[in-house]
Amino acid sequence: MSVKVFRWRAVGPLLVLFVIGCLLWWLFADTIARRESQKVGTQMLGAKVEIQYLHLDLAKGDVTIRGLTIGSPHEPFKNLLQADELVADLDMLPLTEKKIVIDRIVANGLRFGTPRQTDGRVAAKSGEGVGIAGRVLAETREWASQFQVPALQLATGKISIDSLDPRRLSTIPAAAALGARADSSQRAWKTAFDTLRLGPTLDSASATLEKLRRARATDLSTLNEARQAVDRLKRARGRITTLERGVKTGVADLQAGLAGLDSARRRDYAFARSLLKLPSLDAPAVGAALFAPGAIKPFEQVLYYAQLARRYMPPGLLPRATTGPSRVRRAGEDVRFPKERALPGFLLRSAEVSFLLHPTSAQPQRYAGRLTGLTSDPALYGRPTAFAATGPQLVAGAMLNHLRGTPVDTAGATVGGITLPAFQVPGVPLRLDPGAATTQLGFNLNGDTIRARFAIRSSNVRWTRDSGGGFAHSTIGDLIWRAVSGIPNLDVEARLSGALQHPDLAVRSNLDQAIAARLRAVLGEQVAAAEKQMRDRVDALVNDKVGPVRARVNEVQTQAQAQVAQQRARIDELQKSLEQRLRRLLGGVRLP
Amino acid sequence: MFTLIKLIQSLFGALHSEGTPGQLAAGIVLGSFLGLTPLINLHNAVIFAALVLLNVSFAGGLLGWAVFLPFGFLLDPLFDWIGHSLLLAPSLRGLWTSLYNTPVVPLTNFNNTVVLGSLVFALLFAVPLFFATRLAVIRYRATIGERVRQSKWYRAVMASKVYNVYKMFQP
Repeated sequence: MSVKVFRWRAVGPLLVLFVIGCLLWWLFADTIARRESQKVGTQMLGAKVEIQYLHLDLAKGDVTIRGLTIGSPHEPFKNLLQADELVADLDMLPLTEKKIVIDRIVANGLRFGTPRQTDGRVAAKSGEGVGIAGRVLAETREWASQFQVPALQLATGKISIDSLDPRRLSTIPAAAALGARADSSQRAWKTAFDTLRLGPTLDSASATLEKLRRARATDLSTLNEARQAVDRLKRARGRITTLERGVKTGVADLQAGLAGLDSARRRDYAFARSLLKLPSLDAPAVGAALFAPGAIKPFEQVLYYAQLARRYMPPGLLPRATTGPSRVRRAGEDVRFPKERALPGFLLRSAEVSFLLHPTSAQPQRYAGRLTGLTSDPALYGRPTAFAATGPQLVAGAMLNHLRGTPVDTAGATVGGITLPAFQVPGVPLRLDPGAATTQLGFNLNGDTIRARFAIRSSNVRWTRDSGGGFAHSTIGDLIWRAVSGIPNLDVEARLSGALQHPDLAVRSNLDQAIAARLRAVLGEQVAAAEKQMRDRVDALVNDKVGPVRARVNEVQTQAQAQVAQQRARIDELQKSLEQRLRRLLGGVRLP
Repeated sequence: MFTLIKLIQSLFGALHSEGTPGQLAAGIVLGSFLGLTPLINLHNAVIFAALVLLNVSFAGGLLGWAVFLPFGFLLDPLFDWIGHSLLLAPSLRGLWTSLYNTPVVPLTNFNNTVVLGSLVFALLFAVPLFFATRLAVIRYRATIGERVRQSKWYRAVMASKVYNVYKMFQP
C-alpha cells in the first residue's frame, strides 16, 4: 500500500491561516512595532521609552512616531527628552537581513528635561547590574562615589576630637627603646672599663713612687722600675683614651636618641591634630566641599552615555554577544557577526532635529541640530558619529570615534540663558538660586583617559538663608551668610583629569576665598585652642615615659664620663709625680 | 482539563488511527521541534507547515509539542550552552558570518544561543526519537492496542466532539 506524502486537503486551511496571519499583521503591526520599540528602547537606555503613536508604512519605507517620551535614567520625575514627531525614512532591503538602516530622520518639537508624573528610571530601580544599561549605571555610580568630598564640618561651629589611643603614639615606644639602649650602653662601658684593669697598674705605680721617694740616684734598679711604671701608665692612658672615644660616640648616640624623642613627639602632635575634625580653611578645599557633589553629577551622566555608546557601538569586527530578547523561555544571547563591506546591524545615516528651549515662555527659542552616522558597527560605516546643534544661546557638538581600537568620545556644549534650579549648598546654611546661567561642559574620553570640564556662570544669583540645619542661626551661619549674601555673581568650575578609574577632581568658585577668609577669621582661635588641647593630651601621655628615660640617659652618660675623667686624672697625676721624682734624682742626666 | 482531555484524545486517536507507526512517529518528531525550540521563530512556521501539509500524524505532532514543551524549558540552560559553544567557535565563525549577512536567514534568529542550541539538539534527537516512537507504536498495536480500543473509557473519551476536530487531520 502506497502512502501519500502530501496532505493536499490541508492546503486550504493553511492558506486561510496565512491570510488570517496577514490580516492580524495588517491590524496589529503598528501596535507590535510600537511595543517592541518601547521595549527595546527601554532596555537599551535604562529608562522608560514611551510612544503614543507609531505607524509603519512599509510600501513607502516610512515610520512615523508621535509623542515620544524618554525618561531620564538618573532622575526619577524628569524626562530626558520628548519629541512631538519623528519621521524616519527606512531602507527596506536590509530588513531582510534583520538590519535597520535609516536614511534620514526628521525630528520636530524636541524638549529636554521636562517633568513627568511617574518614575521613568528602569535600570536604577530594577537592580543595578541587570542588562547592559544596568551594568553601566552601576559602574558609573561606583565611579562617581569615589569623589565623596567631606562637607564643611566646622561650619557647625563645633570641633570634635576623636579619642587618642596611646598605642598609636610613636614617642612612647621610642622612649622605651632609648631607655633600653642607655642601660645597654652603661653595661658595655662598665665591661670595657673593667677590662682595662687600671687598679693594679695604678697600685703598682703608687708603690714605685713611694720607693722612688726614698731612693738615691745610684739606685739603678729602682730608677729602672720607675721608668717601667711610667711606661705602663702611658699605655693605660692610651687604653683609657680609646675607651673615652667609645664613650663619646655612645653619648652622642644617646643624645641623638633624645633628639629623636623630640621628633617623635612632633609626629605625635601631627597625628593628634589629624584626629581633630577641622575644616580645611584653604580656598580650594572650600570650593570642593561646596560644589564638588553637584559638579560630579553632569560628569557621571555624560560618562554613562559615553560608556553606553561604547557598549552598543564597539570598535572592530569581532562577533559580539548581547542579551537576547526577553521571553517566557530563557533569553540566551544574540551574537552578531559583522562582515567587512556589509551593512551594519543598525545605521542612522542622518537625523535632523529641531527643538525648543524655554517652551513655556512667551518667546520660545527654536534650535536645530544634525546627527550623522549613528551605527552599531562603526568599523563598517567607516566614519565617526557626529552631532552638532546651534541656536541663539547654544553651541553643542559631540563626536564618537569608535573606528579604531582606542575609542575617543568627545562632547562639548555651551548653553546660555538656562534657568537652573535653586539648590542647597552642601555644608553651609545657604540655598543658591543661580537664575539664568551660562553652562559649559567639555568632555573627552580617550581610551581610558578622561579630561572634562564643567562650568556655571551667572551674574544674577540669589541667596536664601536656609532656616533648617543645626547651625543655621549660629555665629558661623551668620558669618557665612554675611560673606556670600552680597556676592551677586557665581562662577564655578570643575575639572576632571587623569585615568578614568581614578581621575583628579579640582573645583573652584568665586565663593571659595570669601568663605575661607571668614572661616579662618572666626575659627582660627578655636582651631588653635583645639590643637593646644591635643598637644597637652599628647604631652600628658608621653611625659611619664620620656622624663625618666631622659634622666636615665643623662645619668648614664654623666657617670661614664666622670669615671673616665677620674681615672685619667689619677693616671696623669701618678705619671707626673713619677717623672718629676725621676728628673730630681737624675738632675737632668739621661739614663741609657 | 480541556487540554488534558485533548491530549489524551490525541494520543489514543493517533495510536488507533489508520496511520502507520512511521506517520505517527514523524508527527511526534515534528511536534518535538515545536516543544523544544522557542515557539515564535521562523523555523517553527516551516515545521508547522510541514506538520499540516505532510501526510504525518497531526495529532502526533500536537502530542509531541505538548510532551516536549516542559523539556524545552528544563533544558534551556543546556541549549544556551550548546548555542554559545557553536556560535563562538572560531572554526565556525566564517559560516555564521556568511549566514548572518545573507537575506532572510537572520530572521530565523539562528544567532540566538537558545534558538540554535535547541534546534541542533532537536535535530540530533529527531532520529532516535523517530525510531523509538515507531517501535513503541508497533509494539503497542501488537499487544494491548485492541484491548484498549474495546474498553469503555476509550469509547467515552473518543465520543467527545473535540475529537472530530482532529479527525480532519487524521492520516
